[in-house]
Amino acid sequence: MKKIDTFSANSLKLLDKSVLEFENKYLYNLSIMKKDKRAILGQKFHNLICFYIKNFDVSKLILNLTQDEQKSWQKLKDYLKDKKDDFIKTEYSFLIKEKLNSKPYFLTGRFDAVYKKDGFYVIYDWKTLNIPKNPKDDLQSIVYLFCANKIFKTEKIKLKYLSIEKLDSFEIPFINPDYYKEKLDKIILKHFIK
Amino acid sequence: MIINANSTTNRTLILIDEYINLLKKGVNSEKILVLVQNSKKKNEFINLIKEKFDFGNIGNLKIYSFFGLVYNYVNENWALIENSIKDTKNVKILPNLCGLEVSQYIFKNCINEVDFTGYNSKTSLLHQLLRRYSLINFNALDKKEIKLRENILKESYSNEAREAINKYKLKTIEKRAFDYIRQINLFEYLYKNLKNEFEYVFLDDGDEIIPALLEYLKYIKKDIKEFFIGYDSNGSSRLGYLGAINVDFEEFLGEKAHKITTIDKKTKNALKILNSIKNDELIELENIEQRTFLRRDEMLDDVINEIKNLINQGVKYSDISIITPLCDEFLKSSLEKSGFEFNFISKSEKLNQNRLIGYILEFLKIINDTNNSDISPYCLKGILMELIGLRGASALQFIQEYKIKRELEDKNLFELIKEKKEEDFKKLYEIYEKIRFQKLSFQLCEIITNYIPLNKEISKDIIKINQLLKQIYDFEEVFDDEVGINELINQIENTIISENPLSDDEIEENSIVVSSIQKIIDYSHKTKYQFMLDINNEGWLKQDIGPLYNAWVMQKSWKKESFELEDNMELTKDRSARMLYKAYLLADKIYLYSSSYDSLGLENFSGIDKFYKFDSKIENSTLQKPIIPRQDQKAVFDYNGGLMSVSATAGSGKTTVMLLLIEKILSKEILNNEEIGEIEPKNIFVLTFMESAARNFKERIKQRYPQLKELPNISTIHGLALRIIKENNNYSRLGLDYDFEIIDEIKRTSLLNEILYTLGIQNDKLNLYDSAISTYKSELAKYGDYNCSNKLFLKVFNLYQAKLKESNLIDYDDLLFLSLKLLKENSDILEYYQNLAKIIIEDEAQDSSFIQQSLITFLSGKYNNVIRCGDINQAITSTFTNSDVEGFREFMKKSKNVEMNRCQRCATGILDCANNVVKFANNKNFNPFSTLIMKPVEGVNIVDKNAVKLNIFEKENEEIDFVINKIKNILSKDNKASCAILLRSNFAIARWEQLLKDKKIKTYCKSDAFINNPVFKICLLILEYIIEPYDIKKVKTLIEELFKLKKYDIATLEYVKNINTPLFLCQNYDEQFFWDMNYFLYKNHYSIYNLVYEIGNFYFKNTKQEVNISLVATIAQKIRLNQKSFENTVKKLREIQFRSNFSNIKLFNDDKNDESREQTVQIMTLHKSKGDEFDYVFIPELSQDNMCFNIDEYKLKENSKFNQKIKKIPLDDLSLKKEIIEENFRLMYVGITRAKKKLFISASNSYKIYNKVRPSKNSEFFEGMESII
Repeated sequence: MKKIDTFSANSLKLLDKSVLEFENKYLYNLSIMKKDKRAILGQKFHNLICFYIKNFDVSKLILNLTQDEQKSWQKLKDYLKDKKDDFIKTEYSFLIKEKLNSKPYFLTGRFDAVYKKDGFYVIYDWKTLNIPKNPKDDLQSIVYLFCANKIFKTEKIKLKYLSIEKLDSFEIPFINPDYYKEKLDKIILKHFIK
Repeated sequence: MIINANSTTNRTLILIDEYINLLKKGVNSEKILVLVQNSKKKNEFINLIKEKFDFGNIGNLKIYSFFGLVYNYVNENWALIENSIKDTKNVKILPNLCGLEVSQYIFKNCINEVDFTGYNSKTSLLHQLLRRYSLINFNALDKKEIKLRENILKESYSNEAREAINKYKLKTIEKRAFDYIRQINLFEYLYKNLKNEFEYVFLDDGDEIIPALLEYLKYIKKDIKEFFIGYDSNGSSRLGYLGAINVDFEEFLGEKAHKITTIDKKTKNALKILNSIKNDELIELENIEQRTFLRRDEMLDDVINEIKNLINQGVKYSDISIITPLCDEFLKSSLEKSGFEFNFISKSEKLNQNRLIGYILEFLKIINDTNNSDISPYCLKGILMELIGLRGASALQFIQEYKIKRELEDKNLFELIKEKKEEDFKKLYEIYEKIRFQKLSFQLCEIITNYIPLNKEISKDIIKINQLLKQIYDFEEVFDDEVGINELINQIENTIISENPLSDDEIEENSIVVSSIQKIIDYSHKTKYQFMLDINNEGWLKQDIGPLYNAWVMQKSWKKESFELEDNMELTKDRSARMLYKAYLLADKIYLYSSSYDSLGLENFSGIDKFYKFDSKIENSTLQKPIIPRQDQKAVFDYNGGLMSVSATAGSGKTTVMLLLIEKILSKEILNNEEIGEIEPKNIFVLTFMESAARNFKERIKQRYPQLKELPNISTIHGLALRIIKENNNYSRLGLDYDFEIIDEIKRTSLLNEILYTLGIQNDKLNLYDSAISTYKSELAKYGDYNCSNKLFLKVFNLYQAKLKESNLIDYDDLLFLSLKLLKENSDILEYYQNLAKIIIEDEAQDSSFIQQSLITFLSGKYNNVIRCGDINQAITSTFTNSDVEGFREFMKKSKNVEMNRCQRCATGILDCANNVVKFANNKNFNPFSTLIMKPVEGVNIVDKNAVKLNIFEKENEEIDFVINKIKNILSKDNKASCAILLRSNFAIARWEQLLKDKKIKTYCKSDAFINNPVFKICLLILEYIIEPYDIKKVKTLIEELFKLKKYDIATLEYVKNINTPLFLCQNYDEQFFWDMNYFLYKNHYSIYNLVYEIGNFYFKNTKQEVNISLVATIAQKIRLNQKSFENTVKKLREIQFRSNFSNIKLFNDDKNDESREQTVQIMTLHKSKGDEFDYVFIPELSQDNMCFNIDEYKLKENSKFNQKIKKIPLDDLSLKKEIIEENFRLMYVGITRAKKKLFISASNSYKIYNKVRPSKNSEFFEGMESII
C-alpha cells in the first residue's frame, strides 16, 4: 500500500485519533471541502495581520469588516503596533526531513509569524477559535516547536497562541527535541506499520 | 546554466542537484524561485528534493508553476492592489481568486451589453472572446501591440471585442474576482511595484513557457545571481492557442547551453518524426504498428483485443496509454466494457457529466423549485434510488402514486413525502425542511453529509463534488445573493470546465490513461505502449484561429505584416511536429489507428495521418478475385488522362468498373505518367450521389484490399464540400466559427415555420418555400448577383438567412455554395485542392447539380483528369432537386465517351420492355433518353421473351388479389426469391404494407426512417417501458419486436402476452425477460447516452447493427440537450421515428445482406428503387394520375410552378410539363430495369379515392407499349 510520508499538525491529529480516518482523508482524499463563516473570518484576520506586519496600508481593507470586527482589529493592531518591527517572518512554510527506523518522513506546516527579540524566537499562531485545551500537549505545539528548533537551530524558542478577538494568549516553551520526536514517531508509526 | 535536452535525459535531475548544492552552500530556500510547467511537475520536483536532501530543515520552498506563482503573489500582496482600486464599496481583504466558471458568467453578462450586430456566431461568442482575451494576457500584449494585430488581421469586430473585454475587466475589478488569466495582469502590476526577493531562478520545461512569464523573467533578470534553465529546443508543444513561445535562452542569458544528446531509440524516432514533418517528407513507419478500419467501432474492438494480448503477455495497465482527440462517450463506453482499468483525463467537461453530481444537481433543483412543476419521474427515481437509497420497486410505487396525485390533486412532491410514514421519507422531509431556504453550498454539504458515504469506491466522484463545491463557494463569495440558486445551478450545469491550470487531474496508479496528446505531454506520462487513435481526425490539429482570435498573429513574436493560409498551415505543421516529437519521447512502441468514419458515421479527414507514408500500392497478386472486365467495359480502362464520360446502362456493372478503375490507377496500370507523378489514394476523389453509396463503395474497397492503409477520398459532394470548408481552418475565411453546424431537416422546418408565421403566410406553404430556397441558392450560384422579383419570397429568404447566420448554422445548399466560393475567391485554397485532386471520378453524373459540376471543374483545374459515370436514361431527380442533366450531356460532348450498354441483370423480355419505353417516348415526340440501347450479355441474361406482364383490371380489388396471389405463389416456389412492389408515391406504401400484412406476407419498406432500424426501435420501446412500467401494453409490444429479432423464444412471448399485472411486479424469477427488463428499469443512468448504449449493446453486440448503437445513443443524447426531461426526450425520439436524419446523423442500413429480408416483400417508391435489383418486380396502380405521358392531360402542381417563379430564366408551363413528363419516362425505365426475372405492371379501371370508387384512366404506358409490340 502507498504510504503518506509527509505530515502536518492537522494530519497528525487525525492519525492520532484514527488511522482509518487519516488514510481516508490524506491517502484517498475522501473529504469534502467545507467553508464556514468563522474560517473565513479567521482567514481575513490572518491576511490583515500579515499585510500590517509587511507594512502595507490596511486602512482601506478594514472597510470590509463589520463594526465589531473593526473594533477587534483595532485592539489587535494596538497589540501588534510595538512588536511589528521585530517580526522576522510571516506565513513561513517549512519542510523538515526526519527518519523513523531509517525510513524518512517529512513534517510540514506554516508559521503564522515569527518574532525575534533578544535572541529569542516566538512562533505566533493566531487563533480565531479557542486556544487548544492542553496547549502543551497539543500536536500543533509539538510539531511547531520541534520544527522551529530544526529551522532556527536554537532552543530559545516559544510558541504563542493568540486569540484574535479576545487577545488571550498562551505561551509554550521549548522542552527538548527528543521529547517531541518520541511523541511524533509514536503517532507516525501507526501509519507506517499498518 | 542552460541545459538543452529532451525529456528522456537526466535534465531535471541535474537541476535538482544544482538546487540542493545551493541549499548546501547556505543559500536560503526563500531566495530560490523554481518554476515548473504544472502542479504535477511541481510535486515531482519537490519529491525529488525530498528524496535527495539530507535530514533536517529543507526550508521554505518556493516551487511553483507559473500560474501558482501568480496566484500566491496576488494573494500575499493583495493589499497593494486593493489600495490602487478607487472604489471603496466592494473592498475585499481576501481577493476572489476564482475559477473560470465565475469569469465566464461575468463575461457572458458583459457581452450582452455590447452590440455585436451581424456577428454570425452568438453561441460561441463567449468562447471566442475568452480565447482572444487569454491570448492577449498570455502574450502580455499592450494596447499598441493589440491594435497592430487588429490591422494585420483586418478584423471587423475589433472595436466590439475591445469593448467587451474592457467591460469584463472593469467588472472583475468591481467584484474583485480574478481567474487565472486575469491574475496575470495583477501579477504584472505587483512585480513592477514591489521589490524582487529572489536571487536564483530555476526554470524547467523552458520551451513551454508563455510570454507573460518571459516578461517577468526579463524584468527581474538584473537582480538574479544565476539562472538554471532546462529546455528542449525541439519542444514547445504548447505553441498556438495555449500561448507557448519559442525562447532563445542562449540569447536571453548571453551564454551557451549545455546540450545533452542521447542516441536511444525513442529520441531517434522522435527526431525522425520532427524532421520528416518539418521537411515535408512523409514519415516511414518503423517501430510503429499501423491499422486502418472503416468504422470506429471496428477500430476500438481491435484496440481492445491488442490491449488484451499485451495484458496476457504480462504488460501492466500503467504501461499503456491511449491518445485521441475524440475522448467521447462512445470511446468511454467501448473501452469500459472491456473490463480494464481506465483513467480518462478529459480536456474539458461539464460537471454534471458525472452521474452522482447529475443526481445531486437534480435534487437541488427539486428542493429549490417552489412550484414543483417540472419534476421528471425518471429523474426522481434515480434520486430516490441512488441518493436516498430506496429500493427499486418502492421508488417506482412512490413515483406512480406521485404521478397520479400530481395529476388529480395537484399535489406537491414534498407534501406527499411529508405524508409518508417510512423512515427514509421522514428523514428526507427533515433534511428538506432544514435546507430549503439556505445557501446552495449549505444545501449541498448537508446532502453529502446525509446521503453520500465517503468511501474509496466513489473517490473519483468526491474529486468532482469538491470541484462543484468550489464553484459554488466562488459564486457565493463573488455574487453573494445576486445570482439566484436556480440560476446558479443552471450556470453550473452549462459551464464547461476547461484548460484550467488549477484543476489537477491525478493520474491513477495501475490504469490505462486515456487522454489528449497535450495532457500526455504536459504530464510527461511515460508508457511502454502508446495507442494513438483516430489519427485521421481533424481534432489532432487544434483550432488556433477563429473569427475573434488568431493564436499565431497574437503571438508576442509575430513579425509579419499579413497572415496567409500558408502561414497557418506551416505553423500548424510545425506545432504538430513538436507535439508528435514530444509524445514519441514518452513511449517505446507506438500504434497508429484510424477509421474512415468517426463514431457519428461522419467522415474523418485532415488528421496527422497526412504526415505518414502508408503503403498505397495494390499488387494484383494479393487480390483474392481479380475482376476481369467484359468486352463493353474494356474501353474504360484505356483511359490515360483527360476528360472521359462513361454512359453506363442499368445493370451494366458500373460500380465494379469504378472499383477496377481505382485498382488500376493505384497499381499504376493506368495514368502512369511523369506529369502526374505518384498517385496515392488521397489523390483520388470519388464522388457519389448518396451517402450510402459512398459507404458501400468504401466497404467494397476495404474488403477487396484490406492491406490498403489509406483509402481514396470517397464521399458525396456535400461531404467533400464540408471538408473544403473545415480543413485548414478555411471556414474562418467565410467568417464562420469552427463549431458551425449544418441545419438538419427538423430545425429547418421549425425555423421556416417560425418565419412563415411572422410574415403571416399559411404554414401549408412550407414545402413551397422550402424547395424554393434551395432553388434560389442554386440560381445565385449560377448567376451571381441575381435578384428574385418575388418580394414575399425574398422576405422569407432573407429572414431565413439571417436566422442561420445568427445561430452559426449553414444549410446543405450553403455547403456547396460556400465551398465553391472558397475555391473561387482564394487562390491558395484552390491550389491546395488542385494539387491534391489528381483524378476525380463521379458516379451518377446525370444527377449532378450545376454547383457540383462547377466544383469538379475547379478541383480538376490543374490535372484535368475527370471521369464522370452516369446514365441519362436514369436521371429521375431533376424535378425536385437542382440536378442538371444538360450539364452531363454537355460534358459527354466535350469528353471521350465510353458506352457500357450491356445489361446482365434483366431477362431479355425486360430489356426489350425498357428499350420499348425509349421508342415509346420517341413516338410521342419526347426526348428524355440518350441514344443508348441496352443489350444483353451473351450467355448471362435469362432468355425469356415473356418476362413482362401487363395487366389491366376492372376493379382495384382484382388488381390487389392478382399481386398478392402472384407473390404468394412466387414465395412458395422459391423462398430465396426477392420481390418488390414499386409505387409512385410514399403515400401508397403504408396502404400496400397493410394489404400484405393482412394476408400474412412479411413486408419491408425500404426507408432510412429511424424506426425501421432495429437498434432504434428496441431502444425506443425499452425507454418507453422504463417511463411507463405500469403500462402492460407497452411491454407486450416490446416482446413482440424482440421476438421477431429472435432475442427471446416463443415461450417468453406467450408468457408476456398473457400477463395482466405490470411485469416488474410479476416476480417471475424463471423468466430471463423479467430479469432483463428489471435490469434496465432499475439501472439509473443519469446520461441517456449510457442507457441507450447499454440497451443497444445488450441486444446488438456482435451483430451487423452494432455500428448503430452509438449513433442511436448520440441521437438520444443530442435530443436530451434541448429537452427538459428524460420523458420529453423519449417523446421526441418517438416523434422523429420516421425521419432518417437527425442533426446530420444517419444510421447504417445493411438491407442487401440482411438475412431477415428472406420471404419478405419490399415496398418502396419507384424513385427509391434506383440502384436496387429484385427477382420479381410489381409496378401496380399505373393510372394516368400516377404516371402521365400526355402533355394535354398533365396538371402542374403548385410547387413546380412556384419554383419556376424563383428562377432567373423560368420555364413556361408547357416546357415545364414536357420536362416532368420526360422524367416520368425515365422513372418508368428505372422501375422496369430493377427486375431480373419477371416484371408485372398493372392498373385498374377504378380506384377507391376518398372512400368512393371512382373511374380511373390508365397510364398511356399500356397503350404505348401495345402499339410498339
